[in-house]
Parts: sequence; structure tokens; C-alpha cells
Amino acid sequence: MTEDVAEETPKENYFLLWLTAVVIFAAIAAIYLYVPTDKTEGPVQRIMYFHIPSAWLSFFAFFVVFLCSILFLWKKDREWDIYAHASAEIGVIFCSLVLITGPIWARPIWGAWWVWDARLTSTLILWLIYVAYLMLRSQTAPGSMRARYAAVLGIAGFLDIPLIHFSVLWWRAFHPQPKVITSEGFGKGLDTSMMMTLLISLAAFTLLYFVLMGQRVRQEKLRDEIDRIKKEKLYSH
Amino acid sequence: MDNLSFLFAANAFVWAGVIYYLFTLKKRNVSLERDLQLLKEVIEKESKQ
Repeated sequence: MTEDVAEETPKENYFLLWLTAVVIFAAIAAIYLYVPTDKTEGPVQRIMYFHIPSAWLSFFAFFVVFLCSILFLWKKDREWDIYAHASAEIGVIFCSLVLITGPIWARPIWGAWWVWDARLTSTLILWLIYVAYLMLRSQTAPGSMRARYAAVLGIAGFLDIPLIHFSVLWWRAFHPQPKVITSEGFGKGLDTSMMMTLLISLAAFTLLYFVLMGQRVRQEKLRDEIDRIKKEKLYSH
Repeated sequence: MDNLSFLFAANAFVWAGVIYYLFTLKKRNVSLERDLQLLKEVIEKESKQ
């Protein structure tokens, strides 16, 4: 069992790692060499190809937290708790990148780093919820109680995501309207080359999520294995 | 800051963030693997005695 966890890693993930690296390079090439410069915003508009995929990745990661938390509460299986924890950490990292790249893009376009717009505020709330989720996990003793509290917070936090998506439609906002999923159809809000570049970038970030998840889940399993051996050793004396 | 500098800053933040996170993951994994190896060695030593 010990050896299984330690040897489970990289070899089988090499393919995913290389594929991710290739798609990331393709995305960077498309962003800087293929897609035309936006007439209104200029080169700074290219931030969109990092900003939207970071947002997509964080939403996807929090969806995995939501799903795994439900499965944990239902099945009481530690495996689901591990996936939820790993995904929450990745989600927070990329949500932080959304909150950093957004203001950098906003400054030259809106003339302000931050406005208390519905989408920006609800995204900040999402980030705070999952930072609280990680703090809850790090500040309480390991066990089923911690996992249960975290699962409840993981499920409740996800309810903010539909609010973020619809906020620009429900309220007057500074933030642009959705460009990918629009009322006229998928990708109707963007030029074909821009949409292609965005899709490559979305694919790169999605693959990156699976690479990071693989590493993060393995880490939790190694930690569990160490704890198990320590406990066994303690009881054997 | 001109328009291009903002693009550079955003780009740098994203990739620096991703690389830093990958680096910390790798570091944590190496440390856990070392702990596990040490534990296995201690158990092996004790079982021989």
C-alpha cells in the first residue's frame, strides 16, 4: 500500500504533462502571433485569454468541490474529501489570478483598478468563501467532523457561481456581458479567430487543472499513508 | 504604464503564479516522500532487531 501511493505518480502522468505543455505553448503562440489586436482596447485586450480561462478553471474547480462534497456526505468516503480539498486549493489559486488580472485589465480600460460592480464583488465573495474553506481545514483537527464542516461550506460556496454568471445580466454592471455563452448562442459574442484562441487557452487551463489535481491528490494520499503508519506504530508499542 | 505594460504584468502574474504553485507542490511531494521513506526504514530496522 505504501509503495503503491509513492510509485503511483509521474510515469503514467507524463503523457498528460507533455500534452499540457504543448497546448500551453500553442495557446501562448495563438495569443501573441495569431489573434489580431483588438481595435478598441489595443494589446491589453489579450489579457482576456488568461483572465477568462483562469475564471473558468476556478469555477470548474469549485464545481468539483461541490460535487465531491455531496458525494462525501452521501458515501462518507475519505477519497471524495481528498478530491474536494485538492480542488478547492487549485480553485483559490486561479480565483486569485482572476482577481489580479481583472484589475490589471480594468485600469487602462475603465480608468480604475477596482469598482464595486456586482460581478467583481460576487467574485471576491467567492474567493473569500473558499479561503475560509481552506482555513477551516487547516485550523481544525483532521477527522470526519472537519471533513463534514468543510463539505457543507464547499457546497454552500458554490451557490455564488450562478450569481456571478448572471450578475451582469441582472444588474447594471461595468463588467462586460458574457462573450462565450450568450443569449444568441455559443461564442456568438466573439470574432472566429478570437474564439479559437480563447478555446485553445481554455483547453490549456483545463489540462493544467488535471495535472495539478494529480499532484495535489497524490500529496494528500501520501500524507494519509504516513499518518496511518505512524498510528499503527504507536498502537503496536 | 502603457497599454503593453499592463499586458506584460498580467501575463507575468499568471505564469509566475502557476510556476510557483507547481514548485511548492513538487517541494511538498519530495518532503512527504522522504518522510515516508524514513518511516519505512525505521520499521524495517525495528523488525530486524
